[in-house]
Amino acid sequence: MSATLSLPRRLFARTPQPPADRLSPHQLRWLGVLLVAVALPQAVHLPIAIAVLGLALVGARFVLLRRDARRGDARGWHVPSWALALLAIVVALAIRRSYGYFIGREPSIAFLFVLCGIKFLEAHARRDGSLIACLAAFMLITPFLSTQTMGTAALALPGIVVLGATLDVLARPDSTMAAGGWRAPLRRAAMLLVQGLPIAALLFFMFPRLAAPLWGLPADRSARTGLSDTMEPGMFTSLTLSDEVALRVALERGAPPPPSQRYWRGPVLSRYDGRMWSVAPLPFIGGTPATDAVKTISYTVTLEPSNQPYMFALELPAGAPRLAGPSADGSVTLPAFLGLTRDQQLLARAPITQPLRYTQQSVLSDRYRSSSSLDARINLRLPDRNPRSIAFARALRERHTDDRDYIRAVLRHFNTEAFVYTLGPPLYENEPIDQFLLDTRRGFCEHYASAFVVLLRAAGIPARIVTGYQGGEMNPTGGYMIVRQSDAHAWTEALLDGQWVRFDPTAAVAPSRIERGFASSLPAGEPIPLLARLDGGWLKDLGLVWDAVNHGWRNHVVDFNYQRQRALWREMNFDLFAPWQVVVAVMALAGLWCAAVLLWMARRRRRKERALVLWDDICRRLARAGLPRQPHEGPLAFSQRAAARWPQFAIAFAAIGEAYAKLRYGSLAPESRDRAALVATLEHSIGALPSPARLREGAAAG
Amino acid sequence: MTALAAAHGGFVARSRQRLFRSAPADRDPVVLRHSRIYILPTRRGAALIATLCVMLLTSLNYALSLGLFVTFALSGLVAATLLHAFRNLAGIKVRPLAAGDTFAGAPIAFSLELFGGPAARSQVALFARDTRVVSDVAAGAAQTLTLMAPTTKRGRVPLGRLTVSSDFPLGLWRGWAYVHFPLEGIAYPRPEPAAPPLPRGHDGPDSAAPARGGDADLAGLRDYQRGDPPQRVAWKAVARGAGWFSKSFDGAQGGGPVVLDWNALAGLDADARLARLTAWVLAAERVARPFALILPGFALPPGQGREHHRAALTALALHDDARARA
Repeated sequence: MSATLSLPRRLFARTPQPPADRLSPHQLRWLGVLLVAVALPQAVHLPIAIAVLGLALVGARFVLLRRDARRGDARGWHVPSWALALLAIVVALAIRRSYGYFIGREPSIAFLFVLCGIKFLEAHARRDGSLIACLAAFMLITPFLSTQTMGTAALALPGIVVLGATLDVLARPDSTMAAGGWRAPLRRAAMLLVQGLPIAALLFFMFPRLAAPLWGLPADRSARTGLSDTMEPGMFTSLTLSDEVALRVALERGAPPPPSQRYWRGPVLSRYDGRMWSVAPLPFIGGTPATDAVKTISYTVTLEPSNQPYMFALELPAGAPRLAGPSADGSVTLPAFLGLTRDQQLLARAPITQPLRYTQQSVLSDRYRSSSSLDARINLRLPDRNPRSIAFARALRERHTDDRDYIRAVLRHFNTEAFVYTLGPPLYENEPIDQFLLDTRRGFCEHYASAFVVLLRAAGIPARIVTGYQGGEMNPTGGYMIVRQSDAHAWTEALLDGQWVRFDPTAAVAPSRIERGFASSLPAGEPIPLLARLDGGWLKDLGLVWDAVNHGWRNHVVDFNYQRQRALWREMNFDLFAPWQVVVAVMALAGLWCAAVLLWMARRRRRKERALVLWDDICRRLARAGLPRQPHEGPLAFSQRAAARWPQFAIAFAAIGEAYAKLRYGSLAPESRDRAALVATLEHSIGALPSPARLREGAAAG
Repeated sequence: MTALAAAHGGFVARSRQRLFRSAPADRDPVVLRHSRIYILPTRRGAALIATLCVMLLTSLNYALSLGLFVTFALSGLVAATLLHAFRNLAGIKVRPLAAGDTFAGAPIAFSLELFGGPAARSQVALFARDTRVVSDVAAGAAQTLTLMAPTTKRGRVPLGRLTVSSDFPLGLWRGWAYVHFPLEGIAYPRPEPAAPPLPRGHDGPDSAAPARGGDADLAGLRDYQRGDPPQRVAWKAVARGAGWFSKSFDGAQGGGPVVLDWNALAGLDADARLARLTAWVLAAERVARPFALILPGFALPPGQGREHHRAALTALALHDDARARA
């Protein structure tokens, strides 16, 4: 070869390493299995091309290994490093293109996924094995960034055991590997994991969780579904198509309120720019909670993360949310709670990124006293748009001078005219209220609510939109109520005689929306998510059971966050101890664990002599192969009988019988070298025998 | 003041001995106990622990309960491995068996015995004098391990500090213990490759005969005497059970004692003289000729046999010991 061709070889060639530093084919195969075990749970969350590429790279190495084995190639064939580096760059660019950005959670995971495959393709040194094992360990947790269901948890288990087994294989010289087969490393890893479980559980309960993330969650670019501080056209239509759970509610006692009183109050929208509604710019903290001893109801909410600071309460909140938990006497205010606004909205200190649990009291009432003179002024503002609607309102107002009369007339208008409640309204562009109210008359709750508020404000009655959820379904299995994103709703409040009174214009058009959920009030043929349907049948029942199981899983495992951990600690009265005392207690527990494991190892060791274990093993195997040992039969007689049955293994059987007889009945000193040699002989001879199934076949054939 | 400093120095020395076993103060056998066993993560273990830290931070930040559980489960595994690493070493009985002798430049053998008690020990490594040997120790059996350490110079070869170590089971932790036995082998001077023939003997009729090799005529067998070299024992007769005899060769018996004298080798430097004398001792042994050795400050009377040869070689190895080591 010419010098020009050999130059890149010299540039990228590695210094040859002594064989002890190189991974054996056996170890490489284990590393490949490990990568597949940790990649499969992650692969379902990745773009299909990335998933296929990552797994194909692992597969390619397996093909190369087979090829090396066939050719008896000691060094094996390596993909040149520059080709792999090029591949990594190409993949990075492709990921950048596919996601639109690279520095973020999801593209990074995708890149890591492919990088593992690339590293495996060129792995040859022992430290490559360490690196791949560490990458694989990290990849065990990446699927949980997407979802933390029971399924993903179950899928991670094989990966953990295989990781332990791979470390075991990496740490052993190759010569000792052949004896145990592939099960032995898995068994050893499982044993170590089981021994470590108490430490895992201790850490899980005692390791302090973070109250707030250390660094931002920059990759959460995919918007979460849920209500926000604005209401744009079409927002509710997309929400109602989602089966996702918004909140779950466990009622403390008594029957759940009737459907017409299941208004879960969320963001209150006062500002209108002609197209979009939004909350008042300043949250006027300092609202007075409603009080009514008779109609108070108490319940515990589990709020799914929404990336919004809004917390939800049934109807009107009667106080601050409390820490949930069996220990709580209800006196501890939720640390994440900021305050109650003047428009009766519960605000959290920060956007909710973890599931939040709180106990809340509410008053079942549709009105409350306005505490601010500002309310009237803010809620009369109208943009200079929708002239026909405003003219319509003025004309109607002339006939109905009393506020209540006027409101009744507007609702009657919705009820009697040919308004249609539909998920698929046309897109209203320039003068949305005009177009909806006077031209097409097809709309969803958001259209009815905004038209209603505009008509009231045009007539000089302060009014605003309240968003939230309306409805909720009892889960008979779990005994709690599920409120889904499909229950999202917009209704209105009008200020009458100093009181904010709730009006739901949607009810005027489609009364069954309030009573039976939105699915009942839609015309046939509209796309309704399965779990929101009324006639889901057994599939829906099954869905409810599944949700109950999942709720339990989430409640006890997944949502064991800062808040739940503190609640548990409080329940266990850790508050009474100084932190150093708790630390000392944890250390003491860890010490106890050490003693227990060491004792266990000592007992296991003492339980049975090795020769006895081996003899029991071979007797069990032969019994399975169809030759059980008779109770009166000694080792020599039994092994002779076995040798007669399987003459091809006569030598092995003779060695086994003789070695065991000497070990058991001979006069060897307990620590002697001969004894160890005999045990080794026994072990070796037993290892040379085929499996019971093979033996049975061999006997049948012969 | 000085007393305090001395006490302090004593403390430092004692601590150093306790921590690093720098002096050969161990009397056999040594049982490895927790006070002797050190455990630190291997590079792989450190990498895995660092990965676990990253996993912990990620899980905490994103509030991934399952991620935390996986992290802690693996931490439990790492912790259990630590205990296994400790158990694999704890209680091992190390016994020095023997130190060999050799010629400088050839490896020297140190044999040690490991006894693990009722537990099987896996992948226990012995390390001393840049030499490593790894072995399993079966349950209830003593395992003899031989370290073949390279030598370069003549003189005493102490085993030095022995490191008993193991990274069993997963290679995440390396446990080790220092043991320092006063075990010492000896390296004889390297014989001169093509040395001149043995010098003439003082007296005796056959002193002028050149050294005879294996081609000397076999004269017959005579009764074995203590000190006869092993290569002259009639092993076939011994094996038959006929008793112990030595072969006697024509002429070989006739040689009177030859004197190997340091002072007779004027004109050579010390090392060359030692190499020549060593070669002659070997030659005399080969032909079973009695010899006397005279070194400055040392004189070995004429004699023959294994012990005599060994005494001569040892004297050559240790000649002017202090200077040879410097």
